[in-house]
Amino acid sequence: MGEQQLDCALDLMRRLPPQQCDKNLSDLIDLCPHLVDDLLSTIDQPLKIAADRETGKQYLLCDYNRDGDSYRSPWSNTYDPPLEDGQLPTEKRRKMEIEANAAFESYRDLYFEGGVSSVYFWDLDNGGFAGIVLIKKEGDGAKNITGCWDSIHVIEITERARQAHYKLTSTIMLWLQTNKSASGVMNLGGSLTRQHEMDAPISDQNTHLANMGRMIEDQESKMRLTINEIYFGKTKKVMSDLRSLEKQSEIEKQDEIVREISNAVASRGAN
Amino acid sequence: MLLKNDDLLKDKCLSAISQYNVKQFVPVKLDGVAKQTLITPFNDVGNGRFYDEVSKKSFKYDHVRKEASDLQPHPSESAVTDQWRQALQSQLDTYIDEHYAKSGTGVVFARNGVFTICIESHQFQPKNFCNGRWRSEWSVPVGDGKSGAHEMKGKVQSQVHYYEDGNVQLFSEKEPVLKVNVSADCEKTAKEILRVIAEEETKYQNAVQENYANMSDTTFKALRRQLPVTRAKMDWSKKNRNSWTIEN
Repeated sequence: MGEQQLDCALDLMRRLPPQQCDKNLSDLIDLCPHLVDDLLSTIDQPLKIAADRETGKQYLLCDYNRDGDSYRSPWSNTYDPPLEDGQLPTEKRRKMEIEANAAFESYRDLYFEGGVSSVYFWDLDNGGFAGIVLIKKEGDGAKNITGCWDSIHVIEITERARQAHYKLTSTIMLWLQTNKSASGVMNLGGSLTRQHEMDAPISDQNTHLANMGRMIEDQESKMRLTINEIYFGKTKKVMSDLRSLEKQSEIEKQDEIVREISNAVASRGAN
Repeated sequence: MLLKNDDLLKDKCLSAISQYNVKQFVPVKLDGVAKQTLITPFNDVGNGRFYDEVSKKSFKYDHVRKEASDLQPHPSESAVTDQWRQALQSQLDTYIDEHYAKSGTGVVFARNGVFTICIESHQFQPKNFCNGRWRSEWSVPVGDGKSGAHEMKGKVQSQVHYYEDGNVQLFSEKEPVLKVNVSADCEKTAKEILRVIAEEETKYQNAVQENYANMSDTTFKALRRQLPVTRAKMDWSKKNRNSWTIEN
């Protein structure tokens, strides 16, 4: 029964305005407090930023670097607010985490030219491990449009001898907003989720990090194309189906002219 | 299903659903009446009943099934009111045919001497995982022997929902205040009012289109590039690991 309730809750979250994702989620938790853990770990929320207590360097918060009410920084590996017995990754995972954070900072510089990124790893019960790559970039407000991009990539890795299986779930949230006198308030936002699985060999050249990195890079680039099509193609098309800028009588007149021309061309062809 | 409580759905949700229908200007078809009318706050006569201006009938509306029943005569308030309403309605019909040909409904409501134009247009396209709705309402400053330049307040809203493996929504809203010239000639005034509305709605729609262009060409591009400046993908191989330095 609990599972059915969770499905209903997730179903609702897929329909409610994504712009109020925070509020919708907290309302759902108020309604079904026993689903709190499931809801927090399944529903992606806009990423929040915190600063490392030691270095001041920014990092991103998610359910996977949270222990109680504290969050672990990927830079100093410490919890804020400090925890005596906060859960830490194993030495092996932490080593990977340091490398991955550095690699994804350089990835972020290439594609986002700014923003904040964080990578966290943890071990899974089945012997494998998993990681999450987070990237957040806010727009500069040019042309009075505010914008924000959030990437959330969760990847599960199972090792099989010299091969590894990677299961990637990527969610990208994109928020765009403007308020101008001619158009009034305009708010275009939400999220898309895509999954991808692959097997890849592991060697000195093809480390987990390299395999993961390429997989995420490709997925994110593909999703960027999809977002472009949906945000600026599909929703815009629906908008012009609701009301046509051109008068129906003009459209019909044009259709008539096109028909006449094609008829004329056809009859000439017949001669 | 969420709360395993069906009675709660019947009792409490009914008021939520009826509020939704009224706010969304849900269109409704009456038996034996050619044109659809709308469920709005402007034709709500209480007790779950609404009325249709065109056929002069009131009806009971089932908010869950979205059906009308129990049609009763609903005479107009006065001959003068009706004259104005019809002049506006005929101009509105022309406007709907020109700009909302695919799915629009437009009704002029005249109640307690107040004239309101409501327009609703929607597209539900489950095959394309897309829904959209346009609503506009205009309070028209006529009747009451008014003349000269008057303010006309409006509200235009549009909403689009895309839901294939995701949840993307567009909300847009504008509340324009326009000036219109009103005279005793209802035909002429009605024409002028619809001209001004058409102009403003086109202006709004153009501005939204322009935002789309700016959002896609400027804001979106600045958030994430399709390819790095170098036009080459990232080199993830181990030999270049030294270049990944942690900046502090």
